Amino acid sequence: MRHQWYPVGIAAKLPDSPAESLLLGERVHIGRAKGGGPQVTDAKGRALPVLTRFGHVWTTLGTPERDLFTIPEADQPGRRLVDVGTVRVRCSPLRAVENFLDIAHFPFVHTDILGAEPHTEVERYEVEIREDSDEVWATKVRFFQPQAAKSAGGGITTDYMYRVPAPTCSILYKTSPPRPGEWDVITLFVQPMTEELCQVWPWMALFDDASTMTDMIHFQQMIFVQDRSILENQIPAKLPLDPGLEIPTRADMTSIAYRRWLKRHGYTYGAQLVAA
Amino acid sequence: MSDFAAERFAISGDLGSPVFVPWVERHARRLGLAASISERSPTRMQVRIEGPAELVDAMEVGCLLGPIEVWVDDIAREPLNDRAANRTADA
Amino acid sequence: MTTTWTAAALSQDVPAGTAAPGRLGDRDLAIWRSASGKIAAWADRCPHRGMRLSHGFVRGEALSCIYHGWRYGQTGQCIKIPAHPGLEPPDAIRVPAFAVAEASGVIWVADGAPATAPPAFEGFTGFRSLQVDAPASVVAEALGGKGDAIRAALGPTPAVALIQPLGPDRSGLHLLAPLSAAPEALDALSVAAEDLRRRAEAGQKGRAA
Repeated sequence: MRHQWYPVGIAAKLPDSPAESLLLGERVHIGRAKGGGPQVTDAKGRALPVLTRFGHVWTTLGTPERDLFTIPEADQPGRRLVDVGTVRVRCSPLRAVENFLDIAHFPFVHTDILGAEPHTEVERYEVEIREDSDEVWATKVRFFQPQAAKSAGGGITTDYMYRVPAPTCSILYKTSPPRPGEWDVITLFVQPMTEELCQVWPWMALFDDASTMTDMIHFQQMIFVQDRSILENQIPAKLPLDPGLEIPTRADMTSIAYRRWLKRHGYTYGAQLVAA
Repeated sequence: MSDFAAERFAISGDLGSPVFVPWVERHARRLGLAASISERSPTRMQVRIEGPAELVDAMEVGCLLGPIEVWVDDIAREPLNDRAANRTADA
Repeated sequence: MTTTWTAAALSQDVPAGTAAPGRLGDRDLAIWRSASGKIAAWADRCPHRGMRLSHGFVRGEALSCIYHGWRYGQTGQCIKIPAHPGLEPPDAIRVPAFAVAEASGVIWVADGAPATAPPAFEGFTGFRSLQVDAPASVVAEALGGKGDAIRAALGPTPAVALIQPLGPDRSGLHLLAPLSAAPEALDALSVAAEDLRRRAEAGQKGRAA
């Protein structure tokens, strides 16, 4: 996982003097280079590779084989791009991604917003590891939502697709309430600080001409703060790659596909290898 | 009410580790399912699973990940049309 | 395996319809009380995906996990999986449950089945629980006694102190006060208890230094 790109800051909000952070347990500093662009240095003061994409600054401690993934839909005209900010969570970076891939918790954790009883059933959906792109995809996911987005006027059945293009990044595509034929794009980019501590950087590319930027940011931050109370209270802290002490069901297929993909690639930073 | 199902799982992958058989049997017990292993090699295993259909699904989901010593490529499921398959869960 | 009772919480701190975290030895517990008042103490972990059940919610006679709403009845048996509403969960899916009993306003827990009922302290009832950053032996010493149940006068008020080890340098202190104690006497007991905590923690720091 050293050879992956990770988010470490919002490109438009880089600090004037370098800010200290952690990446995979190593100290890094994020700031500006002389020309004003982003600069990230490691503990020895060496400049690390950087790139700016999706409103965020990305860096790596290794030498990535591939370019950072792209999100073609986000380039469509008419979308508003939202830097949501950041939330620090005392959990495994992999658990943060797994939770983002889950719909069955909506009625209980995001009650009356992303879900509500009695609409708790998770219908069958499709999950695959795409060989060509080497990504996890879940498609044909449907769920009833009282208020799917800031722009939603009332309850709708929302269609979802989930995509995992990198071990600590996930993208969800969901029905855009004002434009039912299009997908809103909501991402969760996770900066793995340690195996049990992470910083999440959600980012959105939405069709929403009505809500203010502040409203859209607050909506997503509220959702994530609700998730944090779950993520900091799961046992064990690391994500189990052996489900021998858990009871996954068909509703957990995306979680299981994600864990299978981590296992196959040896992406185990933040993972628990034996059932615990 | 969940339908009762009897199925044969043909599990393929890198299954050579001796931990896999007890793992599968234990996971079936945790789901309250009847499981009997009928054929086994380092790359293939056949298991007959009986119980409520949604728990048979859950068995597949658990086995797809399995223990760390094992890599499951695929699970091909086949319904068994014997007498057991016609029972219902509450029978 | 302990088959003796451990004081884990006070009855008043787990009212009907709520769940709270607790400990038994090195294990985390979810202690909860049903709407009708029945108390239960379980492993603090949902078998589905490991969420702490002490964060769950009580409806009627069942406790549900806050993550995916898996619902468990009094004995720990899973009775509902909301993502699969048509499924009747099998007997095999259950949360490990511990023995639990209440006496003198104290919730007692045990692993296994103790041969006797938990101790009752005639004329006393649960008053206040504190956590102390000191081992049980240091707390006992600060109380001027030994063991895990000490009768002591704290300030002007007689009290029963139940000490629960919570690790090498942490203890739970469950205080019982006389049923007849006046409000001023209880206030004084509270002040004395906090003073006791400070002394025990200071003594512990002195030892460590």
